[in-house]
Amino acid sequence: MTLQDVVISGQWVFLAYFVGINAGYLMQNVIAAFGIRRYLQTAEQYEAESVFSSLDIPISLVVPAFNESASIITSVKAMLQLEYPQYELIVVNDGSTDDTLEKLVDEFGMREFPEAYRARVPCEPVRGIYKSTRQGNLRVVDKENGGSKADASNAGINVARYPLVCVVDADSILQPDALRRVVRPFLEDPTTVAVGGTVRISNGCTVRQGFLEKVGLPTNFLALVQVVEYLRAFLFGRMGWSPINGLLIISGAFGLFHKETLVEAGGYNPKAVGEDMELVLRLHRLMKSKGKPYRITFVPDPVCWTDAPESIKDLKSQRVRWQNGLGQALMLNKSLITNSRGGAVSWVAIPFYIIFELFGPIVEVAGYLFIITCAIMGWIAWPQALVFLGLAIGLGVLLSTSAIMLEELSFHMYPRFKQLAVLYLIAIVENFGFRQLTAIWRFQGLMRWFGGREHKWETLTRSSNLADEA
Amino acid sequence: MEWLFRSEFDALTTAALWSIAAVLVTTLILFVYTMGLRLATIAANRKRARFIRTWRDVFAEAMLSETAARNFKLPKVRRSDRTDLLEEWNRARSIVDGSAADNLVTLGRRAGVPELALRLLHKRRVQPRILAAQTFGHLRDRERRDEIRQLLNHDNTALSITAAVALVEIDPDFAVPIVVPMIETRRDWPKNRVANMLREAGSGRVSEPMYRAIRSATNESKTYLLQFARLVEPEVLDALIDDLIRSSNDPGVLNAALKLVSGVRGVPRIAALTQHEAWFVRMQSAKVLGRVGQQEHLSLLESLLDDKEWWVRYRAAQAISSLPFLGPNQLRQIRERQDDRFACDILQQSFAEVGIA
Repeated sequence: MTLQDVVISGQWVFLAYFVGINAGYLMQNVIAAFGIRRYLQTAEQYEAESVFSSLDIPISLVVPAFNESASIITSVKAMLQLEYPQYELIVVNDGSTDDTLEKLVDEFGMREFPEAYRARVPCEPVRGIYKSTRQGNLRVVDKENGGSKADASNAGINVARYPLVCVVDADSILQPDALRRVVRPFLEDPTTVAVGGTVRISNGCTVRQGFLEKVGLPTNFLALVQVVEYLRAFLFGRMGWSPINGLLIISGAFGLFHKETLVEAGGYNPKAVGEDMELVLRLHRLMKSKGKPYRITFVPDPVCWTDAPESIKDLKSQRVRWQNGLGQALMLNKSLITNSRGGAVSWVAIPFYIIFELFGPIVEVAGYLFIITCAIMGWIAWPQALVFLGLAIGLGVLLSTSAIMLEELSFHMYPRFKQLAVLYLIAIVENFGFRQLTAIWRFQGLMRWFGGREHKWETLTRSSNLADEA
Repeated sequence: MEWLFRSEFDALTTAALWSIAAVLVTTLILFVYTMGLRLATIAANRKRARFIRTWRDVFAEAMLSETAARNFKLPKVRRSDRTDLLEEWNRARSIVDGSAADNLVTLGRRAGVPELALRLLHKRRVQPRILAAQTFGHLRDRERRDEIRQLLNHDNTALSITAAVALVEIDPDFAVPIVVPMIETRRDWPKNRVANMLREAGSGRVSEPMYRAIRSATNESKTYLLQFARLVEPEVLDALIDDLIRSSNDPGVLNAALKLVSGVRGVPRIAALTQHEAWFVRMQSAKVLGRVGQQEHLSLLESLLDDKEWWVRYRAAQAISSLPFLGPNQLRQIRERQDDRFACDILQQSFAEVGIA
């Protein structure tokens, strides 16, 4: 094979890859557009009839917290005001080294309570369970540090009393009607075992007493780019998989689960880096092995707002972790790939994730290096190199543009023209540097997965949205 | 470098160039569409807000006074405002009852609401038909009863349940015997809407068809239908539950029936169910005994304190704590005489819940 053959073959491979991945994304876009349209058509009807009744399913809200002293009181106060007829709030203090527990005890009059605890899913030992003397539906589980959010979530699942368990990050800002919206698939289809909702970026928004008051865009460039990324990830990344029951991720920031199925699956895996994805894959595996119909689904409503990292260091750490977690989750559930009864999960979703999401960074980084090297070495002309780079960038802009269109078609959370213009600008600008950088971080995450390193709770630098008000 | 310009390489570059062109055009179309959508939404929202402001005042006047409903000079409705009028009228109508509702029906007829709804009823799209069915229900328009009835079996859940609700509003005596047997098969109907519909129809009308539907259903369907059994008359419910508890051994049916026990009928059978093989039946029996149990059931409840299922132990402990004839000292004595660790733990928890140390 001559150098010329290598260059030409290489170009065909990278072109085919880019066409493949973007065709996949565009297909998800189309499915998502129809899915969102159908969802919104019935939403109004549902709203009109959503009078609380004895038929609503009670929910246990589990909030794992590690060193959340700065914001825990505001978060808990907000979560106690959610619009839902029957729910309990379980805060799990995962051996915090700050005064998270003391603050909770003082603020809500928590008293240690002799609860007959039973460990149905594995977690580190529980030191005590506290019950609020002021809020009948609030309990705090104080446990030994387990080193991961998964371990803390499991402790919450063990003390949960209701049929549905909603696991929420302590720094998440929930829409007041979040539970009512996310419970809808459980009411409509009793085979539902898990539901995710759209998570949005809270940086730049106005938050008062733990609730979102006004939607805004962040001024920090990295956070701004993540706004567009999240639109892509949730509006078509999740919504595109949900109608074919091929959803593989429910965000750790907000997910609602059928408790007994969750317990049967063994709860969260404390060793998993991406515990949220690993759990969803395991739920698929469990339900496939039982051979019963089930749904793991998604509601496109923005139900939860989360703080995005604003520094390169934090963002890199997050992306490396996500990629590492993706590899580990797929490997831990590899039997799904060969499951003859696997349906869309085994035949479509997992192959797509392996080829384009897991190994995508390798092809992406290699592709950029290949084209640039060829141009520098004079194996291809610069204009031709620019054509290929232009195509990669153009497809990136197209995907972001379509995500912004889906947002405009559905929820139009960014009401001002200026905000829309900024989103479009970011949809273009992010392709010049940011995307390539995240490809490199994801590549590093992949290498870390190959290396098999473990993961611990991460403390990111947060914006001050939820800092407890005096 | 001549090889660069060989035909196969040119083909590749040309393909990439054409792809870029296609991507750029698509992006531009999406951009223009989104911006257009934003402008259209803003304009439509403003227009709608003006329309709603005007008509809300009219509806408010009409609700308070029949004279106003009959004589109020109505604002002009443009063709493009027709759907807004129907939606707003339905919204107003759904929150009122009694004479205010009658006044709104009067006003709606004057404003041409039935004619507008009739046009929508025969559209191909589902959404306008839902609005039409809802409108005829709120108008209690008997002329449309048979047309609405035809929509009951429609595949679309929203249209089908809206038709059921509308039919009950139009003619409950006619609708309830038709709709209640359908609840078993139309599991796609949202339960909240079904419950609200039955509540609106009234327990007097619902009792007999519901009783018959439950009695004749399979065990699995009985379990489903029992969720709505609270909406029948209390004496019918008591008889039904007593009958089911005596005659059925299906865990699902027993579980659903035990949840509905309110009186003391059938207590001996309930006591026997504390030994049932299904843990949730034991749990529900314990709960019921906590409400209606007598002194002789205490030992049964105590025997459940070391059950292998946590929920059975918990409900048994709660039941013991809530028995009206036991005071704090007697409760403490019960705790002291337990030699099983699980029993002691669960009693300690449930006593703490009611403030007994």
